[in-house]
Amino acid sequence: MTNDSTRVPDDDSQLVHAYLDGELDPAHAIVVGRKIAASPALAAEFEQTRTLRQALREHLPPRTLPPHLRSRIEAAVGMRRRWTRPSWQALAASIAIAFVLGGGSTWAVLRPAAGDRTAAAVLDGHMRGLMAPHPSDMNSSERHTVKPWFNGRIPQAPRVVDLAQEGFPLIGARVDVIDNTPVPTLVYGRRLHIISLSAIPDEGRGPAARRSINGYNVVSWRENGVSYWAVSDLGFGELETFAQLFRKAPTG
Amino acid sequence: MGVGLSDEENRKQFAGIVVPHLSEAFAVASWLTGNRTDAEDVVQEACLRAFRAIGSFAGVNARAWVLTIVRHTAYSWLAKNRPSEIVAVEDFLGEERLTEQCIGGWSATVTSTPETALLAKLDVRRLEAAIAALPLAFREVLILRDLQGLEYREIAEVTTLPVGTVMSRLARARRRIIGALRTNDA
Repeated sequence: MTNDSTRVPDDDSQLVHAYLDGELDPAHAIVVGRKIAASPALAAEFEQTRTLRQALREHLPPRTLPPHLRSRIEAAVGMRRRWTRPSWQALAASIAIAFVLGGGSTWAVLRPAAGDRTAAAVLDGHMRGLMAPHPSDMNSSERHTVKPWFNGRIPQAPRVVDLAQEGFPLIGARVDVIDNTPVPTLVYGRRLHIISLSAIPDEGRGPAARRSINGYNVVSWRENGVSYWAVSDLGFGELETFAQLFRKAPTG
Repeated sequence: MGVGLSDEENRKQFAGIVVPHLSEAFAVASWLTGNRTDAEDVVQEACLRAFRAIGSFAGVNARAWVLTIVRHTAYSWLAKNRPSEIVAVEDFLGEERLTEQCIGGWSATVTSTPETALLAKLDVRRLEAAIAALPLAFREVLILRDLQGLEYREIAEVTTLPVGTVMSRLARARRRIIGALRTNDA
């Protein structure tokens, strides 16, 4: 097999996968990108792998959690149903309270800074969204429908951009209450994951930052008198890609 | 536990740390065990383990923590019920080298467009069968990356493998699937 001069060293071929997954640092990504351009074998592996990834993402039916399993687990750990409404409502409420109070015992010892309190409040809205039947109060992938929906609900409608082409389809919108102020939140999707993006009138809150709270990631930035807070269970890599795309996208 | 948290406190923690990731836990368990019924047993057992260990959660990445427990529980379950699935990875590496010799290596068989097209119009059932046929060590990495979208370092955390091994297993898993789909087409 060594007489095959077109044979690709295994390392290069593995790096094609890391390149495709966005796992390489910028310097290596440039090098590997050039190698792919120069080698038909690497280009073929790149192309086939990309097609496979897309097929895996889009064509496989999701394995959805059976509702009875959820109840069984709740019962097993002693989380009883108190109301006729699903216990998710109670759960959501108790989590909301836990976050407002500073996140339960894990971090009750520290008085969170203003930015951390906002992050916790934004995450609170996100989690309530996840536990509700639908993560958004109005559901539309059309930004010209989403934007007017905020009229009359909040003083100023947020910037709404379409990122479906980039793999972050708009799902809908809701209004969250942060620091006693109703703020607009856009809901975007990424594969099976949900991203909540809240736009808060800026009053000199924290700078551009990333935070991790209980396994959720929060990326925040500020522009034009608004601070934006994106929260999701996605990794920072994809969440920051989303933030960059949102910032770069033309305003509609 | 053992850190003086009350049951009520544990439940609150459980609701905040484990419950948001139940759907994903079930998806991963389904792919690891290959069917829904076994996945239910694994997820329930994993939740009990997580509940008992909730005090040991370090507060960094709940999702990875939950998936680590699910994976570990799935491995125990498979060891007990289907021991043949737990095979040392080295066995597959030898087998792969043989296959590569037979077909002349990866690069000799790749030509771009026609096969990419075949892959694009592929049948979901064959894709699922190809995933199910992957050895567990490769399947888990593929599931965590391509279905659940974890980053390499998160997969490394869940599987306790070095990041480099995650990368090479992922490449192998994807190649095996592409190879299996191609063989069926021939």
